[in-house]
Amino acid sequence: MSPTVSASGLSLHYGATRALDDVSLRLTPGVTGLLGPNGAGKTTLLRVLATAVPADRGAFTVLGHDPSTARGRQEVRRRLGYLPQTPGFHPDFTAFEFVDYVAILKELTDRSARHREVRRVLDEVGLADVRGKRIRKLSGGMRQRVALAAALVGDPAFLVLDEPTVGLDPEQRMRFRELIATAGEGRTVLLSTHQTEDVAMLCHRVVVLAGGTVRFDGTPAELTARAAGRVWSSDGRDPGALAGWRTGLGTFRNVGDPPPGADLLEPTLEDGYLLTLDGAAAEVTA
Amino acid sequence: MTTTTTTAPAPTPVTAPPGASWAAVSALARFETRKLLTRVPVVVAFAVYVAWTVWRTRVSFDGFPALQDADRATQDAPLLVGLAVLLSANHAMLRSRRHDTERHLDVLVLPRWGRTVAHLLSVVAAALLVAVCVGGQFAWEALKPGAVGHGSPGELLVGPLSVLLLGGFGVLLARLVTAPFAAPLLIVLLLFLATFLGFSDDGWTRWLMPSVGTYSVVTLPSDLIGRPAAWHALYLGGLALTLMTAAVLLSGGARLRTAQAAVACAVALTLAGAVGQSRGVPESVTEARVRASVTPEKVHTCVERDATTYCAFPEWTPRTGDWARTVDDVRALAGGDAQDRPLVVRQRVEARYGLDADATLPPLTRPGEVTVGTAWGGNRVPEFAVAVAGALVTGSEATAGGMCDGRMVTVMWLALADRPDPVADLRRVRIDDSDTGSAIVVSRTEPLQMTSAQTELLRELLELPRDEAAAKVKAGWAELTAPKVTTDRVARVLGLEKPEGENECL
Repeated sequence: MSPTVSASGLSLHYGATRALDDVSLRLTPGVTGLLGPNGAGKTTLLRVLATAVPADRGAFTVLGHDPSTARGRQEVRRRLGYLPQTPGFHPDFTAFEFVDYVAILKELTDRSARHREVRRVLDEVGLADVRGKRIRKLSGGMRQRVALAAALVGDPAFLVLDEPTVGLDPEQRMRFRELIATAGEGRTVLLSTHQTEDVAMLCHRVVVLAGGTVRFDGTPAELTARAAGRVWSSDGRDPGALAGWRTGLGTFRNVGDPPPGADLLEPTLEDGYLLTLDGAAAEVTA
Repeated sequence: MTTTTTTAPAPTPVTAPPGASWAAVSALARFETRKLLTRVPVVVAFAVYVAWTVWRTRVSFDGFPALQDADRATQDAPLLVGLAVLLSANHAMLRSRRHDTERHLDVLVLPRWGRTVAHLLSVVAAALLVAVCVGGQFAWEALKPGAVGHGSPGELLVGPLSVLLLGGFGVLLARLVTAPFAAPLLIVLLLFLATFLGFSDDGWTRWLMPSVGTYSVVTLPSDLIGRPAAWHALYLGGLALTLMTAAVLLSGGARLRTAQAAVACAVALTLAGAVGQSRGVPESVTEARVRASVTPEKVHTCVERDATTYCAFPEWTPRTGDWARTVDDVRALAGGDAQDRPLVVRQRVEARYGLDADATLPPLTRPGEVTVGTAWGGNRVPEFAVAVAGALVTGSEATAGGMCDGRMVTVMWLALADRPDPVADLRRVRIDDSDTGSAIVVSRTEPLQMTSAQTELLRELLELPRDEAAAKVKAGWAELTAPKVTTDRVARVLGLEKPEGENECL
């Protein structure tokens, strides 16, 4: 059985800047989280996989279709749903019109079937009641849901979500997690995020990207396990720790190589992530 | 580097149905059309266009249109819609850039050129809507009972093609300049050029403008118009197509052989149209114009009704009934043998100088011949009645033109007495639009003159009951129509008070 997305050796340079360096991935149905610090190349990788920019080197396929050819690119796009990091909207359109517009651009040409599909995705993201409202009158969270509906319309096999929960309040973020979890049922979702909680709650796999290279590719449990025995509690910040911060209990939680006899704690996904970055983005202090 | 493999569905052999892209372009075109036609500038422009057209067509050509003029009357107002479509299509094209959706839309299936084609098709829809309005306006004119002549499809196409051209320009402009103020600036520039440069000379360059010479001073038979209407339509259509296909190419459609071939065809059509329309009036039309101006009897179709023969250019034959009603009204009031005297109503036009010069026609010298022009309705009816009355009273059109005596009272009364509002018509036929004092009476040939005394006497006569006045005129016919009869004498014959006003011809 082939993976939904199979990428090998993807590299991309912007001038002298190496945005992606020999990235290989295989994505399967379910939600895969893409973690990484700012400038890690997450958005670039997503844009490459969404066929927005071509890679300098390397290749990938989506459901067996090679986007390096015009025909293949069209086939990939027919199976793709893409939610950009900061999605733009046409504020004069209603939510229904905007998603309908995107649906047309996805070649959903049968009018009644398309309208049914648009209503379905708007229902799915909880915007049924405001579908006739102009986008300019919707809240930020609602707009983000319109963008998700636009990505979901046409039932794409491969969904690319670039930091969809940024800027949302906790309630909206929770609602969005539900939507992404639902979206991941039966399709392949690649979710780029800064939020380790998102990954912990949603993803069956996680890829950590830093400096344009893959630092980790495995399950969230495997990423968490990387921190087993490397998280400890102390009364003050341990100078030998990669990262350490004061908890609500007044003690310090340290990540790194513990001193002998340290009071070890249960690791979290975030601990594993910080250790995977190997200090590159682990300057977390109290 | 870590790679992960798990089981997944096999590649799904999904293929788009054949022609899916074009079906999507068509669906998007419908979407964009709905958006374009509901944009405020377009709605306002259409509302103004339709209101103006309805208001104007209701009273245009005094209810007696020549369709070879009515077709050109459809050309100017659509330019307003065209400018609104230019503005709105440009605005719609820049929508994704303005709201930063370009990078999202670019990863959707329909390519950018497909979106451009959809915008262009929305412009086509606006042009078609204008075509429907133009068709409605022309049909309205054609269905008026007094309509004569033939419209030109080329002239009727100018309005819709102008909208297509301007809308296409708006789409292309968005591909060339992404600044949102480019389209409004372009409109200001176009208006400036049209107002202050205007290509107003008679040279071939004026045909580079969309709408040319929509108003004419004189109505000519359709075969004498001599306008390169079909070539101009070809030029406009070709130019619109050139701009539109260029917009598609600039949108990434350069690899499409169809688009490249379309650009080549469009440029060829534009050049063919431009060359064709610059050739001037064909020799055969010039000869036909001379023939119609100098020896119209060679092309006339004549119809006899009672004692009157009506000779008209073939297209005006249906109008002889209207002329006959006026002639019969005048004859019915006349006395002596004037009721049965043979009369020839001859339609004449000065066509040698084209549509823009209305040279005065010399009066006919043959006895009993009266000139009627190519326009009818409004002031033309009492003017014609005056000409008929002049010929009945003086014997010929030329004699009536030189008349300067009391017969003028009889002539004017014969012409006006049976009109619904004689005094209003008196004002209409006088050049000073008044019903007192001396004045020139407008005529298709040589104008007549009324003195102040004759005007005064005529007013008195018109105030009498029509039958009473008719009886007096018929009873005194011989004296009233005698050459050199004085105005005072006319007053005495009619039993009216001697007028006090001056009685000198101008």
